[in-house]
Amino acid sequence: MSERTIELEVLRYRPEQDQEPFFQTYKVPCEEEWVVLDALNYVKEEMDRTLSYRWSCHMFVCGSCGMMIDGEPKLACKAFLKDYPTGKIRVEPLSNFPIERDLVVVLDDFVEKLESVKPYIIPKEERTVEQGEYLQTPAQLKAFKQYTLCINCLCCYAVCPQYGLDESFVGPAALALAHRYNMDSRDLGRAARDDVVAAAEGIWHCSFVGACSQVCPKDVDPAGAIQQAKFAHGIDYLTSFLPGGKR
Amino acid sequence: MNPRKPYVRPISKTSWFMTQGRYKVYMLHEISSLFVAIYTAILIIGLVRLGEGEAAWQGWLDAVTSPIGVIFHLIAFVFALIHTTSWFKAVPQAMRIQRGEEIVPGKLIVGAHYGVLAAVSLFVLILAGVA
Ligand code: SF4
Ligand code: SF4
Ligand code: FES
Repeated sequence: MSERTIELEVLRYRPEQDQEPFFQTYKVPCEEEWVVLDALNYVKEEMDRTLSYRWSCHMFVCGSCGMMIDGEPKLACKAFLKDYPTGKIRVEPLSNFPIERDLVVVLDDFVEKLESVKPYIIPKEERTVEQGEYLQTPAQLKAFKQYTLCINCLCCYAVCPQYGLDESFVGPAALALAHRYNMDSRDLGRAARDDVVAAAEGIWHCSFVGACSQVCPKDVDPAGAIQQAKFAHGIDYLTSFLPGGKR
Repeated sequence: MNPRKPYVRPISKTSWFMTQGRYKVYMLHEISSLFVAIYTAILIIGLVRLGEGEAAWQGWLDAVTSPIGVIFHLIAFVFALIHTTSWFKAVPQAMRIQRGEEIVPGKLIVGAHYGVLAAVSLFVLILAGVA
């Protein structure tokens, strides 16, 4: 196993003593197959116990280690050091979110938005246990499966310029999740979600920059989900003029 | 005392799009629509002029074939290409077509768009007697 010294430039912010964030550089002896998260863990364990950051699974499933790595929002556990040949890596907390401490950002705004889109199945028909389970064909599952893969890492929010400019925007992951339930054959909650989803701060606020889908580590394609939702609403609007259409 | 003191990093409202390559690409796409719009407006004015008679039509023709007219149309053509390619690239995201358990591959959808574009262009060129 070969070792390499990486210069880790970490944006630090300690609310009890700092007026604003500053960069602190750590020279970290790293093993070749390490990811950025391993380097941070080394700093925490061997060099500076005061460094704060979030992580849990170390295998791209929990979504807690999203951060800016050389300016790109990435999962620190999925950012391999070998992809940074210069040996210098800049690590910052996710853009577009307030910094709580060091690499930890304030997530309250996102959690509120996530709740606001009612991310759960609102069933077509209430069934009793005796009536059995809700059935779904593989094709019906396929229609929304991609959008279930989101791990709430918020990389998409960190790169979305609309969210950066105006945080009233519901944003990519929450809208993609709303789409996930709207596309579910067992669900009948679209109208209930529309208060938030079809509002000006919802899908119509997205200008299809597409940045969110480019950075998503799970290939959820939130930009696609939002455009499809716009399309569905456009069709609704047009068919409302037809005889029998609901206006 | 509440020890929390979240720090908000400032974002420029006027130059955010210069901070990342992908935002610049997006802006280029947005700006290109402006040129497509102007081109379309000129074309519509041409139609109106045609309806107004020979002299009006000739005046419009002279204007679009003047050096400034030609230069504008060359620039507009480049922007129209940018606009078309960037839109077509994004189409599969907005147009997700499912056949049974399969999602129709994006390449096929983009290819179909270019196919239709080629067919329509050829038709127009034949009509115009160029091809
Ligand atoms: S959509 Fe992708 S980038 Fe956004 S929170 Fe979900 S997994 Fe992360
Ligand atoms: S496509 Fe929409 S949600 Fe995604 S980054 Fe662009 S503006 Fe934001
Ligand atoms: S630590 Fe769980 S996704 Fe990175």
